[in-house]
Amino acid sequence: VRVIRACRGLGLATVAVYSEADRGALHVLMADEAYPIGPPEPARSYLDLDRIIGAAKAAGADAIHPGYGFLSENPRLAEACLAAGLVFVGPPAPAMRAMSDKTAARRVAMSLGVPVVPGTAAPVADDVEAARVAREVGYPVMVKAAMGGGGRGMRLVTRESELPAALRLARSEAGAAFADSSIYVERYIPEPRHIEIQVLADAHGGIVHLGERECSIQRRHQKLIEEAPSPFVDPAMRARMGEAACAVAAAAGYVNAGTVEFLVDRERNFYFLEMNTRLQVEHPVTEMVTGIDLVREQLRIADGEPLGYGQDDVTVRGAAVECRINAEDPFGGWMPSAGTITGLRMPGGPWVRNDSGVYEGYTIPRFYDTLLAKLVVWGVDRDTAIDRMLGALEEYKVVGVRTTIPVLQRVLAHAEFRAGRLSTALLEAILPAIAAAEGRQREVAMIAAVLAAHERAGRVALVPPPASDAWRRGARRGWPGSAR
Amino acid sequence: MRFAATVDGAAHVIEVSGRAGCFRVVIGDRVWEVDAHLSSQGIVSLLVDGASWVAEVQEEDGLFVVDVRGETYRVAVEEETRHLIRTRGGDAAGPAGDVVKAPMPGKVTQVVVAAGDRVAVGDPLLVIEAMKMENELRARTAGLVREVRVAAGQAVNPGDVLLVLEGPDKGAA
Repeated sequence: VRVIRACRGLGLATVAVYSEADRGALHVLMADEAYPIGPPEPARSYLDLDRIIGAAKAAGADAIHPGYGFLSENPRLAEACLAAGLVFVGPPAPAMRAMSDKTAARRVAMSLGVPVVPGTAAPVADDVEAARVAREVGYPVMVKAAMGGGGRGMRLVTRESELPAALRLARSEAGAAFADSSIYVERYIPEPRHIEIQVLADAHGGIVHLGERECSIQRRHQKLIEEAPSPFVDPAMRARMGEAACAVAAAAGYVNAGTVEFLVDRERNFYFLEMNTRLQVEHPVTEMVTGIDLVREQLRIADGEPLGYGQDDVTVRGAAVECRINAEDPFGGWMPSAGTITGLRMPGGPWVRNDSGVYEGYTIPRFYDTLLAKLVVWGVDRDTAIDRMLGALEEYKVVGVRTTIPVLQRVLAHAEFRAGRLSTALLEAILPAIAAAEGRQREVAMIAAVLAAHERAGRVALVPPPASDAWRRGARRGWPGSAR
Repeated sequence: MRFAATVDGAAHVIEVSGRAGCFRVVIGDRVWEVDAHLSSQGIVSLLVDGASWVAEVQEEDGLFVVDVRGETYRVAVEEETRHLIRTRGGDAAGPAGDVVKAPMPGKVTQVVVAAGDRVAVGDPLLVIEAMKMENELRARTAGLVREVRVAAGQAVNPGDVLLVLEGPDKGAA
């Protein structure tokens, strides 16, 4: 949907592909053309290169934008596009390949003098080597999937006795998720911040960074709230991180939009983590503070255009926050909440952007992730943006499935968040305290429930049943009462 | 109409009168004037003594899950009479399980079983009308109906013995 909007802005026609489960998805409704590519299971549709290339060729498409899930970081898609004479809206396959192996990416960073978290530079061969490295860098350590992402295949190990089990679990998770069970070991940094730099590179050697995003509010290593700029980063640190990110991207021969992720410790030391060779879900916060449409830039770059601006032309203004509205029960162990959205009211107002993939009556397929919408706001400063986000979340009504909205509201209102004292451990630390409903709205909640039951009992209707003369009633002259 | 709303483990008796546009809701000794408007499926606008609230109400596992101002409540709502039957009936059907008492004041409208009948758990025994609602009393234990002490049309008071069951009968499946 995000890509379709950018294409429309450029006057480009769009072709969507969809699985059987996504016939009713918004991207299918919005695209100029849409073609089915198979059954719901991703491996037989969205992850099937041949089907995707085939659909693109059949539709006469010129280019493929891979979005930000599924095959977006798979160099084989880029190669297949090249072979089929299609433009891939993303980096060249060799750059993707160089960055997709996290241990290879670490070696690139180390060769450039960019700090990395101490640990192995290559996947560990066996448990003996893993144990040796873990002893060298010192416990606690993180065991990570070399091809990993999204927190899968990651295990924290606090002492050596836990290592064999963690290695086994990480390997099996990594094998299942990424079809590659190689893993590596690095030192664990307590209460780190996750801060990433957005990079844009054209095919002519032009490269800029668009500042940072802080994505420290995570649950189970999955981002929930992102913001730009980070409340922790000052201009000097931003410049140093930006230079490091550009150096890594340039060394990999990177072209198009990419993100270099760093861990930042409490002393403001930053460590290269990995490079994401695609558009990030959280890219809108960067767009809000820089005024640059990242998908438009991706399309321009893929078309061979030069950036046309330099680092000094990039400015960061104000603050932006993004909240992920997921169909999950935040206080029920983040269990996915499948179902049909029976009621939906979306927020609006100045500097409120709601990138949603759903609509009222939409049934969430159980096959894919739980992201329903990304709510993004901008403010002149961080406090203004947070207040605006709280207002927008209050306006947001979703009935039919549980969502992350209540937990987002409570995190944003939490003193530690407001003070900008963030870490990737913050959410889980404060969750038990914020999970308990404060009980201030109990009476209103009871009134609402009882009136719903009252209506259910068939004694009254809160609204008259839809009458055949609804149109006429809607068209009556003027509205009762004073118009405000 | 009187309801029992159970939230966070505490039951509250709530009385609702009036009609759409001007409900009168009594919780304990507090009276609320409520204008309720179902503006979209599951999204309810409430004007409570003039204050505007928007609540999301959805049913989940027989509960009403209500989201209001960032707080989530799971509210079990039942008509008060049913609540009384369920809770007091539970007391009456203790381990002995052989004496069925009236849970609330009302009128017996129907006696389903007769002395000598064998009943299984959940079988309807008799129906009591109270607060204009027919409330079915069901067997909490299996056994033999030894004695029926009431007849259709008879008024009963809370605690009146309605019928007596022979203790749990191992023979009854």
